[in-house]
Parts: sequence; structure tokens; C-alpha cells
Amino acid sequence: MTARNGSATPRIDAVVKVTGAARYEGDTPMAGALHAALVAAPIASGRIVRVDDATALQMTGVACVLTHANAPRLAGPSSPIMLQDPTVWFVGQPVALVLAETAWQARLAAAAVEVHYEASPAITTMHQALDRAYAPASAGYVATDSRRGDPERAPRACEIAQRYTTPTHNHHPLEVPCVMARWQGDTLLVHATTQAVFAHRRRLAAHFGVPVDGIRVVSRLLGGGFGAKGSAWYPCLVLGVLAARHAGRPVALELTRAEMFTLVGRRQETLQQLRIAATSRGELTAIRHDTIAQTSAFGEYADPTATVSRVLYACPSVATTHRLVRVHAPQPNPMRAPGEGPGSFALECALDELAHELGLDPLELRLRNHADHDQHTGLPWSSNSLRACYRTAADAFGWHARPAQIGSLRDGRSVVGWGMAAACYPVYRMAAQAEVAIERDGRVIVRCGTQDLGGGTTTILAQLAAAALGVPLAAIAVEIGDTELPEGPYSGGAHVSASVTPAVEQAARALRHLLIERAVADVASPLFGDSPAGVAIADGLLAGSGRSEPLAALVGRTGRLACTAHDAPDPEPRVSAYAHGAIFAEVGVDPDLGVVRVQRISAAYACGRILNPLLARSQLIGGLVGGIGMALHEQAVTDRRTGRVLNTNLADYAIPVHADMPRFDIALVDEDDPHLAGGVKGIGMIGTVGVAAAIANAVHHATGRRIRDLPIRIEQLIA
Amino acid sequence: MQPFDYARATSVCDALELAATRPGAVFVAGGTDLVPLWKDAVCAPPAVIDISRLPLGAVEVGDREIAIGALARMADVADHPGMAAAPAIVDALRASASAQLRNAATIGGNLVQRTRCSYFRTAGLSCNKRAPGSGCGALGGDDRRHAIFGASEHCTATHASDLAVALVALDATVDLVGGGAGDAGGDRAVAIAELFVTPGDQPDRETVLRPGELIRALRVPRTALAQRSCYLKIRDRVSFDFAVVSVAAALHLEAGVVRDARLAAGGVGTVPWRLRGSEQALAGARPGEPAFAEAAARATDGARPLGHNGFKLELLRRCVRRVLDELAGGA
Repeated sequence: MTARNGSATPRIDAVVKVTGAARYEGDTPMAGALHAALVAAPIASGRIVRVDDATALQMTGVACVLTHANAPRLAGPSSPIMLQDPTVWFVGQPVALVLAETAWQARLAAAAVEVHYEASPAITTMHQALDRAYAPASAGYVATDSRRGDPERAPRACEIAQRYTTPTHNHHPLEVPCVMARWQGDTLLVHATTQAVFAHRRRLAAHFGVPVDGIRVVSRLLGGGFGAKGSAWYPCLVLGVLAARHAGRPVALELTRAEMFTLVGRRQETLQQLRIAATSRGELTAIRHDTIAQTSAFGEYADPTATVSRVLYACPSVATTHRLVRVHAPQPNPMRAPGEGPGSFALECALDELAHELGLDPLELRLRNHADHDQHTGLPWSSNSLRACYRTAADAFGWHARPAQIGSLRDGRSVVGWGMAAACYPVYRMAAQAEVAIERDGRVIVRCGTQDLGGGTTTILAQLAAAALGVPLAAIAVEIGDTELPEGPYSGGAHVSASVTPAVEQAARALRHLLIERAVADVASPLFGDSPAGVAIADGLLAGSGRSEPLAALVGRTGRLACTAHDAPDPEPRVSAYAHGAIFAEVGVDPDLGVVRVQRISAAYACGRILNPLLARSQLIGGLVGGIGMALHEQAVTDRRTGRVLNTNLADYAIPVHADMPRFDIALVDEDDPHLAGGVKGIGMIGTVGVAAAIANAVHHATGRRIRDLPIRIEQLIA
Repeated sequence: MQPFDYARATSVCDALELAATRPGAVFVAGGTDLVPLWKDAVCAPPAVIDISRLPLGAVEVGDREIAIGALARMADVADHPGMAAAPAIVDALRASASAQLRNAATIGGNLVQRTRCSYFRTAGLSCNKRAPGSGCGALGGDDRRHAIFGASEHCTATHASDLAVALVALDATVDLVGGGAGDAGGDRAVAIAELFVTPGDQPDRETVLRPGELIRALRVPRTALAQRSCYLKIRDRVSFDFAVVSVAAALHLEAGVVRDARLAAGGVGTVPWRLRGSEQALAGARPGEPAFAEAAARATDGARPLGHNGFKLELLRRCVRRVLDELAGGA
């Protein structure tokens, strides 16, 4: 099937969101709900000796206080966040939960709970224990180590060996995570900000030992997630459900912004060693990419940080490793562009250093090392339009005019620098089911139990069904984010569009066939007796040989029709599927004062079929903004002595503000991928990949300084 | 946020009376600093006195003086056409916070905003300013944003106001009312530089304001100095961020020499820091080399860097050089 790009339709929920009429899960009324507030551990390591909740229990409105001592027991492995035992693993770990009639009463009482601890020695930062780095079970979905060829003995005329670091980041969607839970016997209703209604339902069933069928999880509208509402949020979600079980009343738990720095995951800090070798003509001969990253003292998570080095370039000898250091700190988890985001910073900066060393244009170096297949797996690309991305973005940027000389572009007091980077991100797909139904009144409803993080999944589902069925977009209603619906994929890793597209299109096409067959078989239809092959549906109208009938009339007479389809990825793929991109950045640096501004970015992306160019552009800008934050702003700072995150608010944890935004010039390269069902690659992650490197490389072009530790700060530029 | 008593003042007299009868009460106007501190349990005042409706919002630009009511909004002052007589103040206000905050925050509140030190703003960490006697977590901790001037072994937190730095450079005065009965009370005027006190062994005391004393207005002399003034702020992002280093400068040039110079710096001191060494290097000198280089070099007279803020010395010198070049450039 030829992939076909969708139209640039504004999102169908734009009006309700902009007017404030949209109802998020936290707005769900739940009669008789108690409100929860958490008591957080102030120590990084130790044990709870005693909890004195007498004062709190006397306070107005307080219903009860949950601690490890009285919380209902959970089946199976639990997180320290779930109040199951007295061990403390990080500052901020919940050690008690207070339930009260109002959220304010709960907070006041939480402050009055006295917890006594026995503290143990703690490792509060990764750098205190680099010698204890160990190999985890996996890095993301893949093996921690890889090796092809012989990187140590590969021939080399030129070599770069450098160390790069990236700090801890936090996700910070605008909407804070919340859960509202109500038990009735062993049946459970959960309204929550979750990126995975089905996965969380299964885990809840296991943890509480109740049947899956008795649990309904609802997450219809999300105000962003970036990974903070997936597996990282699940332990807190359990707290709300646990509290409701204990109290015998519905419970609402909403995290504070400060709690989001400790309780819903983080992008782990990394230390990356890059060794890249090349011939004098710039052909890569060896890459070694060794990473060390932070994990918590109680859990293990490793981003696939070095995997970008396995696939992005042609190189006969490549070795990569992922190691972790256990730290008494919050549990890391995936955050937008996990792995490829920080990993591409190191790889793409090292490439730039190599180009400089060789006296080659950085783009030319990349073109000379274009990979014509996936050298890690040996598989052919499903499609690879990286060269077209380079060409498109470089032309738009005017890269051909780049002077090789450092610091040679000036603009008043400012020195201007140009830098670039390549980007890739794997295509992840999951099994997905979807139903497309037409009701008696002619309304078409798409049902799929996936979620919309805010990027526009709802709109895309409607567009797909409208196009495949032949009805106007306005005739479509979309139901998502509910375990009562056919099971859809979790929202993360740019899964959703690539996973749901085939199922929705199949269901809509099947429905179209059924409608046509019904029409030609129905004596009351003007199309009765036509050959089904001669009937088409367009704009909500069945049309045959000169005669037509509105779909609404047909179903109004003959009844509702629904089709469900299921699609799953090939368990043994015969192709390697990646989205690609090229980013060109211009910075202006005030060399005296160390101030960097990103002035413009031209980027081109090849992501297969584009379902909605307007939404795609927004997604990519969002990704690029995240990359600018990675380059210049974001950093969670931990106090070494106490293990406490210091900047737990959005004034002190800096993310780019509007005034930090450059002019964005984004191109979507046409890419028809015949190997992917639906032809869709996903666009949620790739915008964040490569940006920090392009900016750091531009800073070097302006100033001659290599900044290898993010974020790029004033002190590094004036030192 | 603990329960608290709330009273709305109907007049300045009423505000002072309310304060006198409510020990520990705080005045609230814009609330942009107080409310976040309160929510984070950094402070827990038993009573607030809402002064936001008092008629203290006027900006009057006279021939000899600019008078700014304490309840004037930051945005309104910055946008007042008469403020062109004191560009440093306009620059400082426009570089402060975000547009939304400037629309809500008042001039008086801006002066008494609390430090951005994370150890102060995180309940539970050691901080002599928030919890006297608990120690200073920043010393030996994360001190990148901390002071190189005016610190003590008890506190090294910087003063956060941009406006105050500009006011120090322009010799502003603060009019105060109330603050006790009899001899101790009454109206008084305090030079802005005298309003703030370095932490010493009492970091919780940040100003000379007496309990219940209210800032009524600011007065800025309208002089040749004020007319040739500017404010430069360096921060980690372009907007909505506190100063890493900032400099307010004012030059009175006459007959090709610097008759008078005022420089003050922000982001570097526990109080807005007057750069007297730089001023001395400029007095009576011809603008440009070598005086500007000397003024820049002397900006860090007496500076004492901590573990992670040593870069502020060089940055401060460069900022001083930059503002002097810009001010003299218009000569």
C-alpha cells in the first residue's frame, strides 16, 4: 500500500482546550472522596523507626494515616513508594499518607506527622561511586553491550577520545499527575493521569489480587506526560488505590510540583566516553561508546544511551556498553527521547570534533559515512531518507556558506556559530486493537484504548477513520483512554501512531465493505442490486451507478454496524526501521559575558507517512524545545550532603521560556515506507535527538570552545 | 499553608493599627513572593494584612525627584513615560521576573522579596535565615548562585531584587511609616543602601524595617547621573530568571570627564552591592581607557568566592566594563 500523508487539520479538541471546557481526569467528580497528602522522607538512606501520627489524627477533617505498618499488603514485588516496608532509599520517598476531607486538611496533617528514622550512610551522587558501576540486565529494550569488528585495533589516521556528561532532568508536563480511585468490593474504578490504561490495569490486578475484569482505568485527556505518567507514575497511582482500599472510601491523590522532582521518574545523569577513529579521508574505522548512568538504590533502569552509535553511521568496528551506578536518589525512567537524546549529544559532538580535526565540513563527514543498511543487526533499512534530510535542512539553513574558520561570523558584539547534527530514533510498535462503528444516527465512533498525551492522537484517529471510511471529519467521534475500549498501546516512545494506524484503517475499511454490502443487499436502498465493486463512499454518501444514499439513511433503516481490527508488529522483523533527521543550528554568543542564544534552527525529518503535518510540526517543535532545554537550561541539582534535590520548582529548575525560542524552520521529507504497516514511523521522540549537539557544535564554531558537560553555562564560556 | 488571620486595610493608618495589634503579621500586596514561600512552608505568618487596595500606587516624576508609591505595579512603573529620566530603573524592572509577575508584583514588595537560595526555600534543609541556628547548607554545598560579597559564616545567600540594585546606584530613598509607638515609631526616610543589612550572625534579619513598619514610597533624585544610567543583567535564560550577575551604572559626564559615577551589582552580594572601588577609579577620569579597565578590575575588590561561584568575579568585571562602554558610548 502506498503511504499517503494526511491533511493539516487543526486538532479536533482545540476549542475545548483553549476555552478551558476540557475536563481532565483530576476534574472528575467522585462523591465522598477523601484527599491524600504524602509525608516524605528527609533522609537518603535508612529505616523508619517509629511514626507518631497522634497529633495528625486529632486534626480537623483527618480520616486516617497510612504507613508501612498499616497499609494493605500488595501481592508481588513492590516499589518503596508503595508503603510496604520501613526501608528508606531516597529523600522524598513517601513514608506516610494522610487522608482527610479536604486536600488542605490532608497537607496540614501531613506536616504534623512525626517520623523517626535511623539513618544509614548514603551515596547521593553518581560520581561518588563510579568505581561501583555494574552492567544492568538491559538498556531500554536492548542488550547493554555490543561489539562488531575490532575497535581497538582498527586502522586510524585520526582519533577523538572525549568524555561527555549530561545531568539529571525531570519531565514536568504542565498537568500534575493525579489519581482518583473508588473500590466497590473487588471492583475498582480509577481515573488517573496515565500513559497506559491497560498496562496499569494489569499491574493493579496483580498487586491487589483481584480480577482484571473488575478494574476500569480511565485516562481520557492528558496535559502532557513525557514519560512521567507511565511506569514512573505507577507506584504513586498505587498509593491512591491502596489508600482507597484502606479507607473504604474514594480517594483523590494529586502530586505537588515539588513531588514531581522525586516521585515520577527522571532522565538519568550520564557520563559517556567516546572514542572515534577515522582514516585521513574521514571514513570511520572505529567507535567506542561507553556510558555510565545513575539508577536508584532499589531499582534498575538504563536508557539505551549508546545505541545511536550502533546504527547511525557506517563503521566496521563498533563497541558500546551501558553501566549503572546505584545512588540513593529517585528512580530514573524514560523521558522524551530516552537514550538517543543524551547519547546523540556525545556521539554528534564527537563527530564534530573529528570533522574539525580532519579539516572536513561536519556535514561532509556524515555524508561520507552514511550507513546503507543497519550494520548492528545486518538488516536492510525499512527506509532511510537521512540524506534527503541533510540536503533539505542544509539548503534551508544556507549551510554551504559556512566558513570553516572559528569565530569568523560576527554580528555586532555577538559571535555567530553554526553547528549541525544528525538524528535517528527507532520505530517502536505494539499490538493494537481498534473499533470503528457507525451508529443509527450516522455518527461514526472510533474506539481505541490508547491515550492522547496532548500531541493530537484523538485527531489522528478521527482523520484515519474519516479518510478510510469516506466520511467528513466532523462526523467522527473518538473514544480513547478507557479500559472498556479495545486495547490500544501505551503512550510513549512514539509508539502510538505507528501502532494504531493499521488497526484503525483496517477496521474502517472493513466497515466500509460491510456498509456497501448492506446497501446493495437492501431492497429499500437506491443502491439495491448494484455490484459492491461499483459502489464508493465519499463525504458520507454511498454512490453507485448514478444513484446515491447517505450512510445515515442506510444505518438509520438497518441498524448500527461496527468492525474491530487488530494489528501487531512482526515478532521477527526483516527490516530495521528508524526515523531520521538533520538539525542545523545558529547561535549567537556574547563572548565577553558568556551568554548563548539559539537564533535559528533548520531541521528536516523523515518519519514515514505523516498523518497530520500541522500536528507533526508542533510535535517536532516540542521536541526541539526539549533539546534546547537540554543544551542550555535543564538540570536537577542534588545537594551532595543530604541527597536532596534543591531546585524543586519551575523558577529554579530552568526550562526554556518563550524568549529563548529561535526561529524554527521545519521540513518533513516525503518518505514512503512500504515495509511498515500503515507506513508510520512516529514523531514524538526524534525532535529531541541531536539538538543539544547541534547547539554545542555551533557554540564551538563561534567560540572555539568545546563544551562537553551539559547544560552549557556562562562559567564554561568565560573561563 | 497554616491557617492565618486575614485583615484588609482601608487606609495606611488602618494598616499600621492592624499590624500593631497582630504580632508576627505580614503585609501582603502582590503576594508573588510571599504566597509561594508560604505554600512551601518556608514561612507561616499567623496574620496577613492586605494592603493591596491602599492608594499608594502613584508614580510622580517631578523636576528634581521621581516618587514611586510602594504599591505601584512593576509593569506600570516600567511603562511610565516619565521613567525615561532613570533608565536603570526601567531596565531593571523589565529584566525582572516575567510579564505576568510584573503585572502583579509591587515596588515595595520587590524590595523585601526573599532570597532565591535553595537552602532557604526548601523546608528541612539547614538555613540560618529560615531556621536560625540550623547552619548554612549552602556553604560547602551548591553555592553557584551565592554571594561573593557580604557573606558571613552563617549565610551567603544573595539578595534577589534587580530593582534594588538600580536604586542603590541612583541613591534612592525609602519612605517608611509606622513601626512602633512613641520615640521608636513615626515616619522616617532611609537611604536605600541603608535599608538592607548583611547577614552577619543574624541572617534572618535582612532589612532595618521594624515590626509593623511599612514602605510607603521610593524617592529617586532626578539628576544627570540618573539620566545616564543603565542596568545589565546576566542570567541562565533569556527571561524569567534571577541574576547570575547584574550591574547598575550611572555616569555624570561633564567637560569630557566623569564628574560622578555610581555602580552597584546584583547576584553577587548578600545585599545590593555598591562597587565603590570602581567608582573611585572613575571619579575625575576621562571616559574610556585606562579608567574603565581600572574600574572593571576594582569591581571585585574584597570579593570572596566560594566553591562554585568563582566565575562571578570575572563575569562581574566584564559586566562593569560592558555597562561603562555602553554608557560612555552615548556621550
